[in-house]
Amino acid sequence: MVVLPAVAWADEASSPLPIEIHAFVSQGFIKSTGNNYLAEDSTKGSFEFTEVGINFSKQLTDRMRAGMQLFTHDLGPLGNYRTRFDWFYLDYRFWDWLGVRAGRTKVPFGLYNESSDIDAARVPVLLPQSLYPVSFRDFLLAQTGGEVYGIVPMGAAGSLEYRLYGGTVFYDTADVSSTLSNVRVPYIFGARLMWQAPIEGLQLGASAQKLRIDADASIPATEIAKLQMAGELPAGFTNPFKLQVPALLAVASIEYSAHDLLLASEYSRWRVSLESPVALYAVPETTSERFYLMAAYHVTPWFTPGVYYSVLFPNVDDRQGRNLPLASTPDAAPIGRGAYQHDLALTVRYDLNAYWLLKLESHYMHGTAGLSPELNGNRPLSTLVEDWGVFLVKTTAYF
Amino acid sequence: MTQTRFSSRSLARRPTRRALLWCLLGFCTLGGQSARAESTPEFRLLIHPENPATSLSKEFVTDAFLKRVTRWQDGETVHPVDQRADTGARRVFSESVLRRSVAAVKRYWQQRIFSGRDLPPPELESDDAVVGYVLKHRGAIGYVSASAKLGRTRAVSVH
Repeated sequence: MVVLPAVAWADEASSPLPIEIHAFVSQGFIKSTGNNYLAEDSTKGSFEFTEVGINFSKQLTDRMRAGMQLFTHDLGPLGNYRTRFDWFYLDYRFWDWLGVRAGRTKVPFGLYNESSDIDAARVPVLLPQSLYPVSFRDFLLAQTGGEVYGIVPMGAAGSLEYRLYGGTVFYDTADVSSTLSNVRVPYIFGARLMWQAPIEGLQLGASAQKLRIDADASIPATEIAKLQMAGELPAGFTNPFKLQVPALLAVASIEYSAHDLLLASEYSRWRVSLESPVALYAVPETTSERFYLMAAYHVTPWFTPGVYYSVLFPNVDDRQGRNLPLASTPDAAPIGRGAYQHDLALTVRYDLNAYWLLKLESHYMHGTAGLSPELNGNRPLSTLVEDWGVFLVKTTAYF
Repeated sequence: MTQTRFSSRSLARRPTRRALLWCLLGFCTLGGQSARAESTPEFRLLIHPENPATSLSKEFVTDAFLKRVTRWQDGETVHPVDQRADTGARRVFSESVLRRSVAAVKRYWQQRIFSGRDLPPPELESDDAVVGYVLKHRGAIGYVSASAKLGRTRAVSVH
């Protein structure tokens, strides 16, 4: 563990507008029972759970600010310590109700998407994975383009914060399987409205986001002949072929944060389809349902327990998994337990000092939706262990 | 000149409740908690002497310290200034005006800092440093303990 020096402000007298430097270093341990989760061999325990970030920001004038953050992480098969620009921006705030930003900016989706990398900013180790899946981080966390934002005061009715953004996502194909290449996001745009209600600590909001992921896919040569013989591929088929994944995501949010208490809940639906000229790989539009309830309480400045209950249904029309999987072979088994994931999480956070924290977290999981077959011997979700658990320890130093 | 001292009655009640919780958790430190209850800290809110404001709403002060509002009514940029997280003035100011614990405010800023949204107000070491900062910036707003010397700064009330 590297505890970094708490340097934030230069000498006020010599420089009223200094560069601010902030950083964090996190190391976690994950142990699961029954199924591998997030990391290979998590059932045996894994330390592949590291995050490091450092950012530099400068208030250039009263209205203009610039900044950037470098980030590297390792979480099972993701990240692998590749360092990248997490965000960088130039921000100009004309008035409180109108500002513009350009660069790579965090996507304002729901309450916590922007801060999902920031262990120090929350109580749980893992945010509810139904809404903030770490495996989707590269698609959902940040976009490169522009943003318009502002806060509109509404007198006795509180205030309304709006965020409108649009651009693209430059995706690192190193995390993609060998059968996909040239993964790109031609567009992403969306909006978030948050109403700061006149009741202290209460905010309600709605977010929507539309994007499309394109990729070139390849079928292993050994499979092509078999599929052609089965009549599932045309005789003249050649690799690669195009895939398109249009998606529409929406979430409604409510948060109450006053004094020592935090209560939050969000409900979300994601509509996704997989379009391909190869019928075998096309999947009709499917709507998933995601929601959670969360609570945390500062018992003392250094001790905060928290709890949440999170639910994921990948197909809202089949919450019990009774139907056959889409694009299945005739003898495929029903999805069953792969159609849901119920996650009950308990966390305790210890703030050891102003720059260092430790968290312990345990999850009771029911269902296998959201699990990665690749981390579990390529077994179908319906064959994985239905009731399983996860235990996490994570420590973070930050300033 | 209007000078108002602020204290938090809810804070005065809190040590008993916290002491019980601590005991339940096996961290019984009643002595220290009782001592804190006997000396409930107070603070005063300061602005620059040329600032025409005479009183401020809690909502404005909250928005200013969370940087949701960046301008005074006359267009001057708001420059909020905090004290260190472990000071009594910061604790009472946070609880009674921002209506959040210091830890909750710190978490708010961690979210803003590491998502690239904004930077927190500077945290100064002492009442004197805050007074000096307020005198130096026409749009400044800060708070000091009730016993602090205010210099030429102006204390304002919050409603």
